[in-house]
Amino acid sequence: MELNMFDLIWAIINFLVILAILYRLFYKPVLRFMDSRRDEIARNISEAEEARTEAAALLNEYREKLAGAEQEAQEIVARATKAGEEARLNLLEAGRDEAATLLEKARAEIQQERDEALRALRQEVATLAVMAAEKILARTVTKEDHTRLVEQFLNEVGEVH
Amino acid sequence: MHGGHGSDILFHIFGLPVTSYVTTMWAIMGVFLIVSIIVTRRLNKVPGRLQNLVEFTVEGLLNFFGGILGPEKARRYFPLLATFFLFILFSNWSGILPGAGHVKGFRPPTSTLSVTAGLAIVAFFATQIAGVRERGLKYLKHFIEPIPIFLPMTLIEEFVKPLSLSLRLYGNIFGEETVIAVLFSLAPYFSPIPMQLMAILFGFIQALVFTTLTAIYIATATAEGH
Repeated sequence: MELNMFDLIWAIINFLVILAILYRLFYKPVLRFMDSRRDEIARNISEAEEARTEAAALLNEYREKLAGAEQEAQEIVARATKAGEEARLNLLEAGRDEAATLLEKARAEIQQERDEALRALRQEVATLAVMAAEKILARTVTKEDHTRLVEQFLNEVGEVH
Repeated sequence: MHGGHGSDILFHIFGLPVTSYVTTMWAIMGVFLIVSIIVTRRLNKVPGRLQNLVEFTVEGLLNFFGGILGPEKARRYFPLLATFFLFILFSNWSGILPGAGHVKGFRPPTSTLSVTAGLAIVAFFATQIAGVRERGLKYLKHFIEPIPIFLPMTLIEEFVKPLSLSLRLYGNIFGEETVIAVLFSLAPYFSPIPMQLMAILFGFIQALVFTTLTAIYIATATAEGH
């Protein structure tokens, strides 16, 4: 168990040398690398967390917007339905009125036509009767009779009117 | 089998004799250097097998020291403590390989008190420097607390720490290595295997004990309101 001073000195030198070598070539790069990776992972996690929060907020916002839009759409549809109904009723009313007017007009026209036809017919009948009477009378009646009969007939026709 | 220090000199560098303990340390340092370069040359965000092992080790040590020193100081003293752990661990495990202690230029470094004492001296100075750096004069004041008469005792307490560190590590590893060497010389093929398996565990435990105690010494020296 003797102590060799030279081995002792060598041990100290060697230890300090390998400490310096490992510090430069091993501990420093490895620790720095592990730190940077850990930081990166931590940053990634926090970024992901942030993105998730943001996405959730966005989702909420869109949901709200969607709900608002749905309500608005319903309102629009309701309003449109109401307006449509009103328009339908208006049109119906107008149509009814117009139909009534047309009917009225048609009736008046028909009445007029009928009256006219009746008058024409009557005139025709009168003319024919006169012609027929003339022919009969020409054969049997004297001039005086003739005159008297015409006057009588004319009086009768006038009475009918 | 015996330490056999003086006779082991292989060559000299700058007048310093180089023994098999020193060359083995260099070999371990070389392995560390190569592994460091391989691992850090390409660090992937999704780690491969080797990188996974490295990250697992770093993370595990960092958490372990964090339990003793708190996360911030663990981070600051991590290079020192991790180097103690890795250097001692692989020194210990080098004794498990067959030929350790027999082949010229290959002796497990932690099986000599000279090396463990050298490491303990580094731990000692690191502790004192850490104490002064973190607490300044307050740290030096604790040597004369609660009363100045305690100075010799607090100094002894401080010097006993590296002594116990070095003796414990050396004793355990030297003992293991000796047992394995004896078994190996008796029946080279199978008899050392159980002891070698044990030595894997003990080598780990001793590296952990040395490092843990150093961490505790630093934690004590740097703790506020001591």
